[in-house]
This record gives sequence, structure tokens and C-alpha cells, in this order.
Amino acid sequence: MELGSYSDQSKSTFSLVDEDHTFANSVRFTLNQDPRVTFCGYSIPHPSDNRVNIRVQTTGDPAREVLKDGCQDLMLMCQHVRSTFDNAMTDFKRTQTNTEQEMDTK
Amino acid sequence: MEGGVSYARMPRVKIRELKDDYAKFELRDTDASIANALRRVMIAEVPTVAIDLVEIEVNSSVLNDEFIAHRLGLIPLTSERAMSMRFSRDCDACDGDGQCEFCSVEFHLRVKCMTDQTLDVTSKDLYSSDPTVSPVDFSDPSATDSDNNRGIIIVKLRRGQELKLRAIARKGIGKDHAKWSPAATVTFMYEPEIHINEDLMETLTLEEKREWVDSSPTRVFEIDPVTQQVMVVDAEAYTYDDEVLKKAEAMGKPGLVEIIARQDSFIFTVESTGAVKASQLVLNAIEILKQKLDAVRLSEDTVEADDQFGELGAHMRGG
Repeated sequence: MELGSYSDQSKSTFSLVDEDHTFANSVRFTLNQDPRVTFCGYSIPHPSDNRVNIRVQTTGDPAREVLKDGCQDLMLMCQHVRSTFDNAMTDFKRTQTNTEQEMDTK
Repeated sequence: MEGGVSYARMPRVKIRELKDDYAKFELRDTDASIANALRRVMIAEVPTVAIDLVEIEVNSSVLNDEFIAHRLGLIPLTSERAMSMRFSRDCDACDGDGQCEFCSVEFHLRVKCMTDQTLDVTSKDLYSSDPTVSPVDFSDPSATDSDNNRGIIIVKLRRGQELKLRAIARKGIGKDHAKWSPAATVTFMYEPEIHINEDLMETLTLEEKREWVDSSPTRVFEIDPVTQQVMVVDAEAYTYDDEVLKKAEAMGKPGLVEIIARQDSFIFTVESTGAVKASQLVLNAIEILKQKLDAVRLSEDTVEADDQFGELGAHMRGG
């Protein structure tokens, strides 16, 4: 849910249900890297309430689009980590196999 | 930008150790918030299958029904299928009843002790309706003695005692109950960078060097038997306890060693309960993080603050 104004779309507070520090902190980090963002922070109103409020203020672009771009960036990074981890696993297994073969020949 | 620092958006991964239930890897060129998100998802949001409903027909053991039901719930079940299963609350095939092939797995246990010998009822006695979901086998394949191959003890029975039950296992996440957590421990630490001031170190006697090396509770430093120089043998063993720094100051040699925690390099250790392989646990966590991001990115649920919140709308605009 977005709490903002049609007159100034560059400042908005997004209230996300069923999210916590896991999501909010990583999005905050990603958004703070974006040169269009002048302020980004989050708060959890109450620990018993499954809700997180993310405040985004930009240099002029709609806060909503900037948040979506931040999520997109983070998704690309996750995809990259996934493929890198897959490659690292393949490399590790190959190294292990080579080591075992060397041990056998000895 | 945060403090003018721009991190590379594309982290690097290097695997140090990989077993079925243990993984150790390096995650570089990223921030603590990303590393922590990954850790939290692995612990609390990667789904597994665990026993959630127990119908006890006969129980003449010394443990009461709910005690046994609780113990059954905590038995880890192989959960490679969990990611593709449905949550029983979302299952349309059984109207959220949680008793169909798409969202649940049925287990049966029927044991009766007929001898004077105490009978151990273990996870091996649970029979599954789905061969892909079964209690995790912790036994050592090389061990031949039956003691190592008996599974997780549920209850012990004496002569004449009987336990007969039906259990339903469902998909869930660690956030709802710890029995659904696939991770035993997931930790990360900043990679330490240790620089010894060689000039200052040369001013110490061999005895002082030995004393300084021994002040570290973990084996980080060692004295080279040939050159008598102090060297770093295992930087990662350093636990940020500052003992060596305090010792150096006490010896009147501040700056003897400089220890920096690299803010963009993390060493992860992942221990799995056996429900999911450690490597798969990491991949599943990344997938779930992506799903969460996608859900927010594609949501179109917007409320005009001016209409809904009146005066608060002005505050939202920064007015």
C-alpha cells in the first residue's frame, strides 16, 4: 500500500504487509545507492504487527517507480548470486574430483 | 549514496567446503544488509515438510499423546519436493483441508512391544505415503553396528505397550514454527584483514613474542621455528575478541598489529538439518528472496494518502 500524494509523487511511504527486516533492509541499501534517491529509510511500527513502512524521497522521479527499480536491481543481483553460486559449486566439485583422482594414482 | 561508497552490484562467490549438510562459502563485493537478508531467509523462510497433524489411535506408552505429537513434528523430513508443493492453506484441491497429494504427505506408525526387551520406536518406524518424503537418515553408511543405524528415538515401549498413529506432514516455514526450519545454524562473519607491524615486532624478545601469540584465545598467529618471526596462520580463526590488541598495549607496543574487518566480504557457514542439502538451501533462499521482491515490484495496491488519511496526507507529502 502506497501512502503518498498525487500532487508530489517524489515522496511516498510504502506500507508492506507480511514483510520484515529481511526485505526492508536490503531494499533500503539498494535504494540508497540510487542517485535519484535523496532519502530512504524504513521502520517497523510494532514487532507484533507484520508490517514495514518504507519511506522513499527522490530528486523528482515518482517514488513508486524508483522503488520498483530498486526491487528489479535486487532481483538481478539475486539472479547473479544464484548463477555465481552454481558455477562455484561446479568448480568446487571439479576440483574435488581432480584431487581424489590424484590421491588414487598415488 | 551512503557515505559516498558505491558497492559493486554483482557479488562474487567462492565455495570453501561443501557437504550434504554443511557448506562454507565466501560472499564478496556486497553489503551486510544483503548477507543478512540471505541468512534470515535461510533460517526462517525456506519451506520444508514437517508433521503437522497427528491422529493417535492407540497409545499405551509412558508418554502422553501431545508429547509424542510434538516429538513427531520435530523429526526432519526430506524436503526436496517442498518448493514445488502447495501450502495447505492455499490448496484448492482439498479446500485448505491439508489432506491431499498436492499439499500433504501421510505417515503411519504401528508398533507393539512383545518381548521383555525395551523396544525403541524410532523415525525408521514411520512409513510414508510418498517415497520422496521420509525421515532424514543420519546413520553412517560405513558403520555396520545397528546402534548407529536406528534413527531418531520417538518413544520407548515395554512389554504389552503399543503405539498406533496416523500423521499428516505439511509444507511450512520456520517463521511459523521452528520444526519447519531447514537450517541448524547459518552464520556469517566479516573477513578479517590482519597486518603485523614487522618493525615493532622485531623489538620484542622471543619470550614476549610467544606470550603475545598465546594471548589469542584462538590459533591465529604462530612463530616460525626457523626465522622466529610471528606470522598469521589462520586469519579466519580470529573472533574479534581484541585480546591481542589489549596484550600489545599492555606490553607498551600499541600498533603492533592492525586488524580490519572487511565490510564487503563475508564468510558464510550453513548447517542444514538434513531436510534440504546445504547447497540447495542457499539456492532456495535466493529464489525466495527473488519471489518477495517480485511480489512488491508487481503489486498495484495504491492508496491516495490525501483521501484516506486527511491531515496525515500533508505530513506524508512533507508539508
